[in-house]
Amino acid sequence: MATRRRVAGPVLRRVVAVVVGLTFLGPFWWVLVTSLARTGDVYKFPPSLLPHWHWANYARAWAAAPWVRLFGNTVLIALCTVVLAVVTSVLAGYAFGVLRFRGRTALFTVVLAVMMVPQTVLLIPDYVIAQTIDWLDTYWIQIIPFGGSVFGIFLVRQFFAGLPPELFDAAELDGAGRLRTLWSIGVPLVRPAVIIVALNVFMGSWNAFVWPFIMTSSTSVQPVEVGLATFYGAEGTDWTGLSAAVTFTTLPVLALFLALQRHFVTGAYSAAGGLK
Amino acid sequence: MRKTRVAAALAVCALGAGGLAACGSGSSSGKTTITFMEAMSSGTLKTSMETLTKRFEKAHPDIDVQLQVEPDYGTLRNKETAALSASKPPTIGQVYSDWAATFAKSNVVVPLTDYAKPADLKALYPSVRDDLYLPADHKLYMWPFNKSVVIQYYNTKMLSAKGKSAPKTWDEFAATARAVSGKGNVGIAIDPGGSAGPAGGEAWFEILSQAYGTPVFAADGKPQFTSPAAIKAMNYLVGLKKAGALTLGKNYPGQVALGAGKGGFDISSVASYYYNSKAVGGKFPMGTAPLPTGPGGTQANQMAGTNIVMFAKASDAERKAAWSYLRFLTSADSQAYWAQNSGYLPVTPAALPKMTDFIKKNPYQKFAAQALTTAKADPPYPWISQAQGMLAVAMQSAITGKQSASAALGSAQQQAVDAMKSGQ
Amino acid sequence: MATTQLDRPSRRGVAVRSRRRSRDRSGPTAVLFSLPALAIFAIFTILPTAYTFVISLFDWNPLNVSQSTFIGADNYRKLFAHSTPSFAASALTSLYFTAGMVIGGTAISLAIALLLSRGGSWLSGVRVAVFVPHVTPLVATSIVWVWIFNPQFGLANAILRWLHLPAVDWLDSSSTAMPAILTYSLWHEVGFTVVIFLGGLAVVSGELGEAARVDGANRWQEFWYVTWPQLRPVTLFVVTISTISSLQAFTQFFVMTEGGPAHATTTLSYLLYQEAFVFFHTGYAAALAVVLFVVTALFTLLQFRTRRSTLS
Repeated sequence: MATRRRVAGPVLRRVVAVVVGLTFLGPFWWVLVTSLARTGDVYKFPPSLLPHWHWANYARAWAAAPWVRLFGNTVLIALCTVVLAVVTSVLAGYAFGVLRFRGRTALFTVVLAVMMVPQTVLLIPDYVIAQTIDWLDTYWIQIIPFGGSVFGIFLVRQFFAGLPPELFDAAELDGAGRLRTLWSIGVPLVRPAVIIVALNVFMGSWNAFVWPFIMTSSTSVQPVEVGLATFYGAEGTDWTGLSAAVTFTTLPVLALFLALQRHFVTGAYSAAGGLK
Repeated sequence: MRKTRVAAALAVCALGAGGLAACGSGSSSGKTTITFMEAMSSGTLKTSMETLTKRFEKAHPDIDVQLQVEPDYGTLRNKETAALSASKPPTIGQVYSDWAATFAKSNVVVPLTDYAKPADLKALYPSVRDDLYLPADHKLYMWPFNKSVVIQYYNTKMLSAKGKSAPKTWDEFAATARAVSGKGNVGIAIDPGGSAGPAGGEAWFEILSQAYGTPVFAADGKPQFTSPAAIKAMNYLVGLKKAGALTLGKNYPGQVALGAGKGGFDISSVASYYYNSKAVGGKFPMGTAPLPTGPGGTQANQMAGTNIVMFAKASDAERKAAWSYLRFLTSADSQAYWAQNSGYLPVTPAALPKMTDFIKKNPYQKFAAQALTTAKADPPYPWISQAQGMLAVAMQSAITGKQSASAALGSAQQQAVDAMKSGQ
Repeated sequence: MATTQLDRPSRRGVAVRSRRRSRDRSGPTAVLFSLPALAIFAIFTILPTAYTFVISLFDWNPLNVSQSTFIGADNYRKLFAHSTPSFAASALTSLYFTAGMVIGGTAISLAIALLLSRGGSWLSGVRVAVFVPHVTPLVATSIVWVWIFNPQFGLANAILRWLHLPAVDWLDSSSTAMPAILTYSLWHEVGFTVVIFLGGLAVVSGELGEAARVDGANRWQEFWYVTWPQLRPVTLFVVTISTISSLQAFTQFFVMTEGGPAHATTTLSYLLYQEAFVFFHTGYAAALAVVLFVVTALFTLLQFRTRRSTLS
C-alpha cells in the first residue's frame, strides 16, 4: 500500500503536469496547423488537427507587408528601450535606495504616482506633445517615453536597500566616483533585478500596440505588431494567411526566449526570494 | 569594460535609429505633391487604386500623388482626426458623409464649389450627386469615390437541393433561409458590428426597416428606431435566429460561411463580389440576385461607400492639383477601369458603354447599377455612425435574446437622440 | 504616506544618523542620478496628466481647438449621469475582469507552481511550456484565439463537441465573451506568476513542513498552515501586479471583441479608448481618464496599506 502510493504519486503528478503543459502549448499547435492548411481545410468541422504542409500561405502572408523592416524596427525599438530603461532605473534606484538626501520621500512618492497613471490616459496629451516636438511617426516617440520604468526603479531600489549600506559608505566620493562604485560594485549585486527589469521592459516594448498604432503611420518606423494588426484589419477572413503571419512574427521572440529562459527564470526566482 | 559596452549599445541605438529613419524617407522637388488618405488596402482595391494614380501622374507630370493607405475605415478616421489635430492633414481624404459633416463643423474642410462645374456634376448619377452636399449650408463638400449597393449572394447548390431559387421577397427569403438550415448549415451569418462601429449586418437591418415602410433615420437625421417597421425588421431577424437560420459572427461571417459551403446566403455590398467568389473558389456556382422586396414590392436598398473631401490646410496649388485628380478619378474611363477591377459601381452612367463585356460576364453589375439609381444614402449628420453603432448593439441584444426587439430598439433610440442633441 | 513603510526606518535609523554629514553632499549626486528617469516622467507622464485634467474641464474639439469651450465639471457630471455604456457599468466590467484575473490567476498559478515545485529537472520542461505564452505578443495571440473561439470552425467548439457538450457562441454572446477573454488572458499571463510562485516556494523552509508532517499533518494541512503563510509576500506581489495590469488591459479587448457584444466587454480602459478615439469626445474621455487615475491610485494605496498591516 505504502509503496504503491510512493510510485503512484509521482507518476500521477507527472501525468497531470504533462497535461497542463500540453494545454498551454495547444494554441501553438493549432496556429501551426492552420497556417499549413489549405483554405478549404480550415472550414471543416470538426477541424483536422494534423498539418497539411501547404506552404503557400506563408508566401502569401510574407508578400503582404514589409515584415523584415517591421521586425527590424521592433528589435531596434525594444533594445534601445531596454538599454535606456535599465540605465535610468539603476541610476534612480541607487539614488533612492542608497543615497540620503532632502526630499527623497517626496520625490519617490512622485515616482510611485507615475505608476498609477493608466497608459490610455496619456495617449491624447502625449500625441499633442509628440506633435509639438515633431516626434510623430519616428522611433524616438516609441523609445524615449518608455525609457523610464517605475517598476524598474522600484525593484532596483528594493535590492539596493537590502544591501549593507557600508558597501557604498564613501562620503567623500563625488558624482563620478559614485558612478564608478555603482558600476563596479552595485550593478553586479543587483543583477537579478536588472534582468527582471530588462525582461519587463522588453516585453512591454514588444507588446506595445496602441501607442505605435496612434503615434506612427508609416511602415518605415512601425513595429511588427502594428503590421500584424493592419494585416488582420485588411484580411480578417484569411485565417490561413493570418496564422502564417502570426507564426513567422512570433517565432523569433520565442526562440530568443528559449535561448535565454534560464536567466529569466533565475532572475524571477531571486526576485521572488527577495520579497519579504 | 561594462561601461564601454553600455556606451557602445547606446551609440548603436542612436546610429541605428538615425540610419533607418534616413532610408525611410524620400523627397521630390519642382512638383506639386498631394497626399490622399484612403483605406483601399487589400486585394484588387489596392492595386487598381495604384494603377489609376500612376495613370494620372503620367498624364500630369507636374503632380505627384502620395497614397496614404490605412487598413480600415475606423483607422482611417482616426488617422485623419489625428492629422487634423496635429495641423498636418493630407490634401484630400476618403470620408463617410457624416465624418464630412463633423469636419465641416470644425472648419477644417473646404467646399468644392469653386472647382466643380455644372457639367461635372451633371455627369454623376443623381443619387450619387445628392449625397455630396452637407445640410448645414447646402454646399458641395464632397466628391464621389467608391459607391456600392447591397445585393444577395447565395449557394445555388444548397438552394436547389431544397427546390428553391433566389427569393424575390423578404418573406420568401426567410422561408428559404430556414429551409437550408440545419446539419451544420445556416441560412445566413451576419456581423452587426458594435458600439465602435456598425458592420454589414446593421446595414441589412436598415434596409429591412426601410422595406417595411420607415427608414431608421429621417431625412433630417433624426433617429426613428422604434417605428413599427423597425420593430418588425428586428423581429424578422430574431425569428431567423430562433429558427437556427441566422448566426452572429465577426469578420465577414456571411462570406466565411458561404465560402465554406455552410451558409445559404450572404447579404452584402457589391464590393464583396471579388472576396466572396474568392472564398467560394469554384466549389459551387455562386448566385447573385437583387435584394428581395418588402410588402407590396417595396424596393429598399442602401447606397454605401465613401466620398472624398479636401482639407482646408492645402495651398491653392495643392487644391488645384487635387481637384484635377478628383476629376480624373470620376472620369468615364477611370470609373470603367475602377468598377471592373474593384467591384464598386461606377458613379457615372457614362462609364457603362466602356464596360459592356464586363457587364455581360457579370450580370450583377447591371441590376446593381439599376439599384444605385433608387438607393438611398444615410443622411449626412455628425451623429449617424455613433447612432448606427447603437443600433448594432441593439441588434446583438435582441438577436441573442437578452432583450425584446422593442426594448432593445427603445434604449438605442434614447441614446441616439442624446447623441444627436450633443452632436448638434 | 505610501512611502514611509517602504523606507524601512527601523533598519536604517542608525546608519542615517551616523552619516548625517554626508547627507547634504549626496544631494546633488542623487538629483543627477534620478534626473534621467524623472525628466522622462515629467515630460511624458506628469505634464500630460495635468494637461488631461485641463482638457477634462472643456468641451474639447480636437479638430479645431479654438472651438473648445470651458464647461467646468460638466464632463464629470455626465460621467455619473446616464450614458451607455455607463461609467458604472464599465467599472463593473473592469471589476469582473480584474477579479477573474487576480483570483483565478493567483489560484491557478499557485496550483501549477505547487505541482511543479521540487519536481526536479524533469518538470522544468512543463514550466517552459507554461511560461511560453507569456512572451508571445498580445496582438498575435489574441488573433489566434479569435479563431480558436470561432463558433463554426474553431478549436474550442471542436473540443466541446468531442466532450459531447453543446456548442457555445463564445465571443459573439454577451454572457460568454468575458469568460472567453479571461481564458485567453489567463493563458497569456499565468506563466509569469507561476515562475514567481516557484521562486517563492524555492525559499520556503522545508524543515517546518517536515516538522508538521512528523506531527501528523496531512499534505493539505501542511500547505495551509505552513507553506501558504510563508508565501504571503509573494502572493501580495502577484496580486498587486495582476491588479494593475488587469485594470490597464486593453489589447485583447480591442482585437477580440471591441468591447462587445452589447457592451459586455467594455472595460474602463476600452471605454476610454472608444470615447477618445472612436467618438472623439475628447473632454469627456479626459474626465474618464482622471477618474480612472484616481481609482487606480486608490487601489494601489489600499494594497500598500494591506501590505504594511500584514508586515507589522
